[in-house]
Amino acid sequence: MNRRRAAEGFSLQLAMTPMIDVVFLLLVFFVCTVRFERGEAVYQLDLPARGATADPLALQDPPVQVILTSTSISECSIELKAQGVSRRVDDFNALAITLEQLRRRVGSADGLFDSAHPILVVPSPSTPWQHAVEGFNAAVRAGYQNIGFAESRSS
Amino acid sequence: MSLLHSRGQARIDCNLTPLIDLAFLLIIFFILVTRMSGDQSPPVALPAPTHPAMKPAGTQSRLTVNVEVDGSQTVVSLGARRFAAGERGHEELAIALARRIRSDPTLPVDIRADRTLPYSAIEPTLRSIAHAAATAGSGKITVRVCALERDEGTNE
Repeated sequence: MNRRRAAEGFSLQLAMTPMIDVVFLLLVFFVCTVRFERGEAVYQLDLPARGATADPLALQDPPVQVILTSTSISECSIELKAQGVSRRVDDFNALAITLEQLRRRVGSADGLFDSAHPILVVPSPSTPWQHAVEGFNAAVRAGYQNIGFAESRSS
Repeated sequence: MSLLHSRGQARIDCNLTPLIDLAFLLIIFFILVTRMSGDQSPPVALPAPTHPAMKPAGTQSRLTVNVEVDGSQTVVSLGARRFAAGERGHEELAIALARRIRSDPTLPVDIRADRTLPYSAIEPTLRSIAHAAATAGSGKITVRVCALERDEGTNE
């Protein structure tokens, strides 16, 4: 009789308090640790072999040079130099267009250089990294695959 | 005798269900947006090209070389390890990189450099990476330059 009474009075209750505690702890942790950042992307860089690693017997096409001279983030002088080509362009958009015009397309006789032709970005020592990457980006946009940074040259 | 007392004690019930719903939604949101990879990349003002043409960095393992501005000097670090400024720091970076490349030559080396730094501050790092690859005996390693994906906030 006592047992039955006890069983009738028994009710299952979910203890909410510890769960809410944990939930709020997790919430506070995530709120404190989250960092909202813009996503990063990458350019494959063809780092030229320097010094002793360079093979002096390797036959390579003379690279197209993108010469950048700048002293501040707001302005940059851009010059394109290759065999038989020497051009000065106004901005990085014009550089991408010029490089694309110089690229030889498959099945076409137009253009001077293959997409595998080496492109060398040559920034002056004072050129901000932003401009160096812009020059690199213009070559990628133009469809070239073999792009690298050269030793800096004095302006 | 007041009316309140005649009806017995007043009970205030707090409805917790919507609160818990909201808390769980927020937790799920934060779990999805938080990166728990242990990536110890310091915040660097990366270059942001106007018409970006690069590929997403992906989630694969990588060696991250950071070149940051700290006050008036340039600081180079490999992951969380910082190196002394100057030539000695670049030599140590090359040694540390060569060791890592030797243990896994397939790891790409990512360069995360501050966009305002002059090229002369970044070039020694490029030289250290090339030197490390040569020391490690790795003919061709993958070197990548990091930039920001979108061109928001940059002047066209």
